[in-house]
Amino acid sequence: MREGVSPLAQLKKSVVKAEEGEIYDVELSEDLLKANQRLAEENKRLLHENGAKAIDIMGAIGSGKTSLIERLVRLLKDRYRIAVFKGDLTTTIDAELIARHGVETVAINTGKECHLDANLVKKALQRLNLRIINLLLIENVGNLICPAEFPLGSDKRVVVVSVTEGPYMIIKHPFIFMDADVVAINKTDLTKPMGVDVKKLEKNVKTINPKAKVVATNCRTGEGVEAVAKALGL
Amino acid sequence: MHEFSITSQIVQNVLAEAEERSAKKVTEVQLVIGKLTFLGLEQVRFAYEALTKGTIMEGSNLVIEEQEGIVQCGNCGYQGDFKYEDDPLYHVPLPTLKCPKCSNTVTITAGKECTIRNIKMLV
Repeated sequence: MREGVSPLAQLKKSVVKAEEGEIYDVELSEDLLKANQRLAEENKRLLHENGAKAIDIMGAIGSGKTSLIERLVRLLKDRYRIAVFKGDLTTTIDAELIARHGVETVAINTGKECHLDANLVKKALQRLNLRIINLLLIENVGNLICPAEFPLGSDKRVVVVSVTEGPYMIIKHPFIFMDADVVAINKTDLTKPMGVDVKKLEKNVKTINPKAKVVATNCRTGEGVEAVAKALGL
Repeated sequence: MHEFSITSQIVQNVLAEAEERSAKKVTEVQLVIGKLTFLGLEQVRFAYEALTKGTIMEGSNLVIEEQEGIVQCGNCGYQGDFKYEDDPLYHVPLPTLKCPKCSNTVTITAGKECTIRNIKMLV
């Protein structure tokens, strides 16, 4: 954590002289989760200085995050200069799917971590020429728990939840939905075979987070994707 | 969820503070952990014990204070606990961002922290 002894540390050491064997009480207030939040703020500032905004796309494994990004890229690539960060534990399979649409794509392999963090995004930002992009889409690792704890510096957060995850996915993970600006309820073509009521899912989101905008999507056909873009102000 | 990595940071920070003061032993560490973090206290304690072994923190007392989640309403000024939806289906009440007084959307002001508040050491 620390490299060498800082001047401030030296100063503290020279001022406070406790006697041998005395109990020394140190008051601190450093928040360990704030370190990530600070880096996230730096990422956001860097993007804004370069005239770019960022959207973080979260959701469970297989909910359709990559499909939504592919659809958003196809829809928006004439209006925006887009780059995509694709978070996964390993492989560039999804990143290649996205890159096929002709947008700059950086694969972020977390190795074993179950979420992206602001530091990984900061490193990925160094690979981009920020002057030539104005929209960054960041796909988080598939997970409905940990990404809520680690903001990345995005302007808006989307959660993708698919009807194939069953009727209770939203109420089981309230905290990630509290963080969402837009919720895409995906795979609506499978509503009937799954016996899931999209209206009920929408109500669950609205109960937890009345401000979140909810859009029903089918990212295979592109249905609802324009509404997602609109809800994001794109 | 990330108790081990977070606790490892806590131990590193405490050891650095102790080193700056040439402490012989750390006797107590007080943490504040928000209830809205995904940190399980039992796992934090387990990781703490494992990570402090063989260091001057070994055997130190770990005191954890839990911080309740607090929300604030920009509309009516309400400040306090979440509004919960209660339904037998939920098993535990479901926290919502709805203001308990005026139903406006509230913002979270406390409950997401993980702070080292105090360290006691022998010098």
